[in-house]
Amino acid sequence: MKVSQNWLKKYIDFNLTPEQFTEKLSMLGLEVEAFEDLAKKFDKFVVGEVIERAKHPNADRLSVCKVRTGKNVEQIVCGAPNVAAGQKVAVALIGAVVPYNQHARDGKPFTIEHVKIRGVESSGMICSEIELGIGKDASGILVLDTPAKAGTPLAKYLGQNDVIYEIGITPNRPDCLSHIGTAREIGVLVNKKIRLPKIVLKEIKTSASKFAGIEILDKDKCPRYSARIIRNIKIGPSPKWLQDVLTAVGVRPINNIVDVTNYVLMETGHPLHAFDYDKLAGHKVVIKTAGEGDKFVTLDGKERTLTSDTLMVCDGERPVAIAGVMGGANTEISDATVNVLLESAYFKPQNIRRTSKYLGLSTEASYRFERGADIDITVTAADRAAQMIQELAGGEILKGVLDAYPKKRKPVTVKAHAERINSVIGVSLSKAQIISLLKKIDLLSRSISKNEILVTVPAFRNDIMEEIDIIEEVARIYGYNNIETKTHAAIDFSSNVRNDEFQNGIREFLIGSGFNEILTIGLQDEATMSLAGKKPVMAVNPVSAEMAALRTSLVTSALKVVKHNQNHGVKDLRLFEIGNIHLLTSEKALNSLESYKEEERLLLVISGNRQPACYGNISQPVDVLDIKGEVSVLLSKFCLDNYSFIYYDTHEILSEECVGIEINGTYAGFFGKIKKQIADKLDIDEAVFVCEINIETLRGGWVRDRKFSPLPKFPIVTRDLAFTVDVTLPQRNVEDVIREAGKPLCMNVVLFDTYTGEQTGKDKKSVAYDLEFQSPDHTLTEEEVDSVLKKIIEAVNERCKGVLRG
Amino acid sequence: MLENINQTKQEFTNELQNTHDLQQLEQLRIKFLARSGRIGGLFEGMKTAAPADRPMLGKALNELRQYAQLHYDAKKADLEQAQKPKEIPFDLTLPGRMKNVGTKHPVIQVMEEIKRIFISMGFSVENGPEIESDYYNFEALNFAPDHPARDMQDTIFIADKILLRTHTSPVQIRVMEKQKPPVRAIMPGWSYRNEAVSARSLVAFHQVEGLYVDKGVTFSELKGTLVAFAKQFYGSSIKYRFRPSYFPFTEPSAEMDITCYLCGGKGCRICKYSGWLEVLGSGMVHPHVFKAVGYDPENYTGYAFGMGIERTALLRYGIDDIRILYENDVRFLKQF
Ligand SMILES: [Zn+2]
Repeated sequence: MKVSQNWLKKYIDFNLTPEQFTEKLSMLGLEVEAFEDLAKKFDKFVVGEVIERAKHPNADRLSVCKVRTGKNVEQIVCGAPNVAAGQKVAVALIGAVVPYNQHARDGKPFTIEHVKIRGVESSGMICSEIELGIGKDASGILVLDTPAKAGTPLAKYLGQNDVIYEIGITPNRPDCLSHIGTAREIGVLVNKKIRLPKIVLKEIKTSASKFAGIEILDKDKCPRYSARIIRNIKIGPSPKWLQDVLTAVGVRPINNIVDVTNYVLMETGHPLHAFDYDKLAGHKVVIKTAGEGDKFVTLDGKERTLTSDTLMVCDGERPVAIAGVMGGANTEISDATVNVLLESAYFKPQNIRRTSKYLGLSTEASYRFERGADIDITVTAADRAAQMIQELAGGEILKGVLDAYPKKRKPVTVKAHAERINSVIGVSLSKAQIISLLKKIDLLSRSISKNEILVTVPAFRNDIMEEIDIIEEVARIYGYNNIETKTHAAIDFSSNVRNDEFQNGIREFLIGSGFNEILTIGLQDEATMSLAGKKPVMAVNPVSAEMAALRTSLVTSALKVVKHNQNHGVKDLRLFEIGNIHLLTSEKALNSLESYKEEERLLLVISGNRQPACYGNISQPVDVLDIKGEVSVLLSKFCLDNYSFIYYDTHEILSEECVGIEINGTYAGFFGKIKKQIADKLDIDEAVFVCEINIETLRGGWVRDRKFSPLPKFPIVTRDLAFTVDVTLPQRNVEDVIREAGKPLCMNVVLFDTYTGEQTGKDKKSVAYDLEFQSPDHTLTEEEVDSVLKKIIEAVNERCKGVLRG
Repeated sequence: MLENINQTKQEFTNELQNTHDLQQLEQLRIKFLARSGRIGGLFEGMKTAAPADRPMLGKALNELRQYAQLHYDAKKADLEQAQKPKEIPFDLTLPGRMKNVGTKHPVIQVMEEIKRIFISMGFSVENGPEIESDYYNFEALNFAPDHPARDMQDTIFIADKILLRTHTSPVQIRVMEKQKPPVRAIMPGWSYRNEAVSARSLVAFHQVEGLYVDKGVTFSELKGTLVAFAKQFYGSSIKYRFRPSYFPFTEPSAEMDITCYLCGGKGCRICKYSGWLEVLGSGMVHPHVFKAVGYDPENYTGYAFGMGIERTALLRYGIDDIRILYENDVRFLKQF
């Protein structure tokens, strides 16, 4: 909300620099977000009096003037044809920044300095309208009114001495959405009470009640409706001062009637609406809800569809306004308007809020009504506006205010305990101190027992309903920064501190393995997300179609990261992400949280060359064994041997190079190569290998508490074995048979070579293994090892049709 | 005889010292070590020695022979080495075999530091779901239905009353529902807002929520804890202020500002020329929130606070466009 310093000063005297004002008001909870000091623009500009004008000795078109600028008289060389002795003029003194340079093509501002013009000293400049940025006249200097006093700051003379503040008002403080409301808070700062505007009404004898009636049919949504009627007004533009103050606070002037309602809105915070009285059929006002689906044209010319919840102001025949939101085109004030009915009502905040949300229409009025207006002020506001209308548009104010107020607001009182106040804030204030703090913001209270006070809450503070609200006010007025900064929290150790220790362990491990951590947002477009196969959870009101679906897998967002990096020439990628995915478990009960499942996943991505480009490193593209290696190392590190792979698995996003991962027998995720179609769709030109693992399942296999097993005492005996097997037989089958047959003495089997070629023929391959034998209790003899080898060779021969190579 | 042995040793040593090539060395070998050489001669001479002296002399002679052989061998190796053509030294300026360098995402780094500080103060770490109900995200947090306070957080909806949490505060409710006081926890995670993407805001961002509920927790202590945090995180010399604000789930509510560390409080673009940076929102847990989770507000008080991680990361690393955080450009990631 914009407020004008000059306007505020009508209600409260204060003398604060804009910086002080900003600091102090912010510390009271009214955050001053910005200010504009209009006078700054005219710093070092004053009203000057031309005492003497002489021709320049060296230039025909120039004059040498003696100008009084207060106590001093300056010599100024001036080129304007219209300068003359006796004139009051606008003078830019040394150091002034002239907003517009009429002699330069770009018009850039420039600073006044001591200069010699054709040999004559000049200390200042007499300005034209265009140079001052207040008009378009460039033909000569601006001549001011003669009564102006030399030395007066020009800003003051021009009425440009205001400071406009932009204040952020929190939703709980609608009472501050006005100059009077803001002034009340300033009163706390300067320890003064505000002056409310004096209202003197000149009513005529004719009673308003003869000219209109008010009927509230929905008393819940409209607890109070007040109105005044003013006859025989003359529509026209508002005077300059009114137009200026409205413009200053961001309101566009329209005509004297509408401007007055806006002025009173900005002054008191109470929204008013003016109807053309003669257009109100039956000269009555009825407040009731609309019919479902009814149409209504608001004064912005738009047709709105209403619901049975929309509260309408109607005349004898039809609706004339959407209550508290916007008036209708049918009864709008026009140049032909002569008689006015001025509405000053109070509408139920929740209803106005629903209507405004439903219509997607927020106005100054609805903004205040939905936060809560002051029900006690309706008549005052109507009177204030009627008075101003009469002053500015003439006319006769009919006698009496029409005021339908079926159920009077009961005074709100709140009990507060001094002890409780002190114990929440952490201070030790006496009851008397509390009472005096509250008094500063018009919360009058009295002591009702040893420890309790009873606070009477004025209607404009609709945010104060219970004790905690009083506590907040005490803290606020006492000053947050006057509250001591203490710590005495007793230490207690909770069990959950290790909660994400596991994730951090994975993170550190992967960073050590040369992976860069990425973070991506969990919202994607539906088409990309559907590549992952599952139907995603969708937002009903997405920010954009690109962010409408919640991801069901971390892979697709990471592929976009791969794409981004490839586009920027970075092709060798090792990335990981730890993030959440969301799955829809039931499409029927979308209104139940049970239908959504959140899973934390770990994603690895590798692409490009295996090793960084560097002398001695071979540039070789990664393949599926690289991702397999990374996954194996990670799983072995955290889960020891609690995992296994499902070879030749399938997955929507992976090619036939796809391996499933089981941890403790539970499916945990997959790794493999991205399908070509998907890479093509995302315009990725290199092979990408990914792995996605469910973190919970991974954690399930985590062997956190390790047990020491004694180191072997007896030596290892190693032997090599090579077999020729069918080329299609996975080596793993051979390896498994060796392990099985070699038990218990064969401790380790390591594949060191595979080969297909001349020696084997196309249909066969050779697989060669290093075998390690060891006994926990004695040194193995040759015979022992040989007998195990024999068993192994027989088993491979029998179960894999493997032939031992010589 | 013994004298002779010692003298031979002395002569051998002197001559060896003056030997500079293999030829000289060979002559030396013939002179001393060959069968017919000086040492061999001494062994011959031993035969004539008194039998009682022989063991002593034999020992000394053997020592001499060993000594001579050892020094001869060493000299020979040295001379041979010196004669060989010089090997080209290894070029140590060749680059080392490089490995891939891993990095942690800057947002995670900031998050971890914040966590570390609060964990050191005895806070636990709790989590909650990102898809939330209206109840947890708003209602239980004292956002009344049809209240404008809801406008403070534009919401992305999944279904009627099901939404993407707009803050991490619903985790407060979940923690209090399952645990009796005292509760002291931080709750980090993603939050979502229905706001247009710009240099200053993203649809999704991280928050860290904090909550402490016990008997006798005061606003004064809220200040103490947050000041202690800020001094650790931003540096012990920062200036700070607490400014009244409004959040439906806390009362009294406060924004914590610290002096802008980019301009030292003089005012700059980053602090919008105010000299202050808003770093977190906080307040005393509203009694309505306690009622919603079944805590007795007469018995317990508590404070809650929350801060945005991305904003903090931007300030810390001097990044001026939030969007770069989630582009995951490796050239960016490798800077952290
Ligand atoms: Zn700054």
